[in-house]
Amino acid sequence: MHFLAISNDILFIYFALSNLIYLGLLIVAIVKNVRHRHRLGSQRLELVKASPFTPPITLIVPAHNEERSIVGSVGALLGLEYPCLEVIVVNDGSDDATMEKMRLAYQLQAARILYIADIRTAPLHAIYRSPLDPRLFVLDKEAAGCKADAINAGINAATSPYICVVDADSILEKESLIRIMAGVFADPGRVMAVGGIVRVLNGSRVVNNQIEQVRLPKSPIEVMQVIEYLRAFLVGREAWAGFNMLPIISGAFGVFQRDLVLQVGGFRTHAVGEDLDLVVRMHRRLHEERRPYHIDFIPDPTCWTEVPTDLKSLARQRARWHKGLIDTLWPNRDMLFRVRYGRIGWLVLPYMWIFEFFAPIIEIVGYTTIILALISGVLSKSFFLQFLLFGYAFATLLSIGSVLLEEMTFRRYSDWREVARLLIYCLFEHFPYRQLTMVWRLQGIWQYLRGDLQWRSMKRVGISTDPVV
Amino acid sequence: MGSVFKGIQKLGSAGLVLEAILLSVLGILLLIGFIVLRRWYRARYFHNRNRRTVALRSQWDDILSGKIPAEDWRFKPLDCDIVESILLDSIEMSAADKLPPLLDCLRVSGLLDMRIYEARTSRGLAQRTALLALGRTRAMEAIPALAAGLDSRLRETRIAAVRGLGRTARMEAAIPILDRIASGRFDAPERSLKNALVNCCRSCPEVLVNYVDRTHGPVRELLARVLGELASPELGEELLVLASDVLPEVRASAARALGNTNGSYTLSALHSLAADPEWFVRLRAVVALGQIENIGKISILLRALCDANRHVRQRAAWALARMEPQLHQILEDVVATKDDYALQAFVSELERSGAIEKIVSGFARSGHHSTETALMEVVAEARKRVELTGKAAAAAAGVH
Repeated sequence: MHFLAISNDILFIYFALSNLIYLGLLIVAIVKNVRHRHRLGSQRLELVKASPFTPPITLIVPAHNEERSIVGSVGALLGLEYPCLEVIVVNDGSDDATMEKMRLAYQLQAARILYIADIRTAPLHAIYRSPLDPRLFVLDKEAAGCKADAINAGINAATSPYICVVDADSILEKESLIRIMAGVFADPGRVMAVGGIVRVLNGSRVVNNQIEQVRLPKSPIEVMQVIEYLRAFLVGREAWAGFNMLPIISGAFGVFQRDLVLQVGGFRTHAVGEDLDLVVRMHRRLHEERRPYHIDFIPDPTCWTEVPTDLKSLARQRARWHKGLIDTLWPNRDMLFRVRYGRIGWLVLPYMWIFEFFAPIIEIVGYTTIILALISGVLSKSFFLQFLLFGYAFATLLSIGSVLLEEMTFRRYSDWREVARLLIYCLFEHFPYRQLTMVWRLQGIWQYLRGDLQWRSMKRVGISTDPVV
Repeated sequence: MGSVFKGIQKLGSAGLVLEAILLSVLGILLLIGFIVLRRWYRARYFHNRNRRTVALRSQWDDILSGKIPAEDWRFKPLDCDIVESILLDSIEMSAADKLPPLLDCLRVSGLLDMRIYEARTSRGLAQRTALLALGRTRAMEAIPALAAGLDSRLRETRIAAVRGLGRTARMEAAIPILDRIASGRFDAPERSLKNALVNCCRSCPEVLVNYVDRTHGPVRELLARVLGELASPELGEELLVLASDVLPEVRASAARALGNTNGSYTLSALHSLAADPEWFVRLRAVVALGQIENIGKISILLRALCDANRHVRQRAAWALARMEPQLHQILEDVVATKDDYALQAFVSELERSGAIEKIVSGFARSGHHSTETALMEVVAEARKRVELTGKAAAAAAGVH
């Protein structure tokens, strides 16, 4: 009985604290988003494009078995609005026709270009250039079984001071590079990396690898992910970045200072969550060197990505994300509560341990003890129901808050019915989707403890492959 | 230890938790209500705006000429907003000779005075909006109000003023910015300052030279960088002075500027800058050499190709690989340096530019004379080595 009471107390404090933090993040995100919108009003992208001070950037596109979308994706990337662009596609030992399709579409020719492996990678077979577009280079390398290795090869070959990592199956909006770089231009001396928003592509109409009409996906499981992405990016990342405590820049779309990435040794090969791992190491390095810096998030440059459409793929993805979290938190545990790591060591990492890593464990223990307390009479039935109702109502409030943020700022879902559907799904997100997520994250912990760090492929529908060469 | 749950229960089950539930539900309803109302309001606003835009566009010539008096639209907020945005868009896209009627309309209607008043008296977003609108007018009388914005205590307002002054693209607008920068106490993002100065000083870069002479340290570097973008042949002598400046960043900017001049002095100045002790000065000099048309640059670039710095070597190779008629001779000279790094960099750039195939087929056509056969062998060897660089480095590092 005593154990149940203590457990319930801890659960209550945990629950109250996490909800307060989320509420705080939502408020900060709303304020920051509104400010950002005002600032955007004074920025003219065409002037940024025309400026002689706009630095070159290299897009790195790791591609492993992307035959369905690679040609169209690369065409779309070459069509991005940016004055000095270099696109490096890294074919990471694909077993399918990725390389063949690229070779045919862009008439690739082998070029013995000087390649200095500042970061260790699996060996390169060849470097190709395209006579159709001198900005395009393709690295063909042996598979190392991880995306990080392919990105590192791209970083070695890059010739620009900034690199942008983009997934081959994602779609960048035409102005997204200029917009994300505006975050760097704000203070090039201090801004070391910038993340953009990743949105759910499923359901939208895509023509020639550009979004023609933004639509919500049809299946509930995909719509739930839309809400999750809105909450994670527009609320979480926006707010954390406001305090210079952004712990992650999505692997699907982010800009980094190349020199700094080289200094920290590039992306860690075989890291499960290589994006989270890199940003945490960048924080570590910059704090150790006591350099003034900012790692920012900009909410308007958009990358559209496909999300899992079936429960099995979603379960794998969530388990992998949680493994990635532990895989980063554990090696960096020495940063916890150390003065030299400032707010990263005192706030962000403890938050990630307590409210991200332990969340599924605390949740499952909580469900069990509350039910036991209910059965044994420690907790009254009416109070239990009220508490459950409050938890549900508050979580729904936060989800609707993220939809509100989307409405106040970017309004990508312009149709009334789409917004109504989003709002309705906010009401149903917390049962049973949330509980399923908890189970998948527990699976992730279990797999990590067993040493199972395998990358399991996700079933994808694929985006339009109309050539744009 | 008393349970927290019990504690809450003691407050009465209809107490805290029930209130929290009600508050959350109220919050949900308020948020949904706000979203619905906002959508409705915006739909209505844009519908009206669209309708009025069509109406005003159909009377545009009369509005511009003053046949329709300004009083008819000026005091209707929506109409006033539409006319102003059409006017500002037109001004931005107009050539100088098309500007007067547009500016007259702004002046006669009092829109310009309204924006000047707002820029001087408002605060926050309203002030920033007014400053940017003033910049877009490109009107002379907007400059004092914009200059006053530079003295704001708020950084965002100062940035808006800098951007506004930049958008006027007038040399007179550069002076207040330059005065404040020269004082050394002006805080605004370097990029905004540089862009504004480039826009304003494009027609008259000489104005920058005076300020470069008067300033020191980072301010001098910033101004030199702007000058580097705008330099013209007329600035020749001033650039030669900057090329021997004590600050490496200023020397590098002078090198960049010299790339736009191509005067009799250019080559000798770049020759000495290409031997500068700072690698990035040498790099800029090599980049500038790549821009100028002068056969005499080959010997300097060949020396740079053997530089200790990788970036300098690569840029020298880049410049040499694009000198098509002389490629054969250059290749011979590169081989003669007996510098493996230089040869690798050059061959790599020939591959990148696609010129290597032309050279090789040129050798083949010429019938394999002994010198050329030897050259071909050296090139083939260098190509193999370049190809192997990546593999070797990776293998040496121990691949997974």
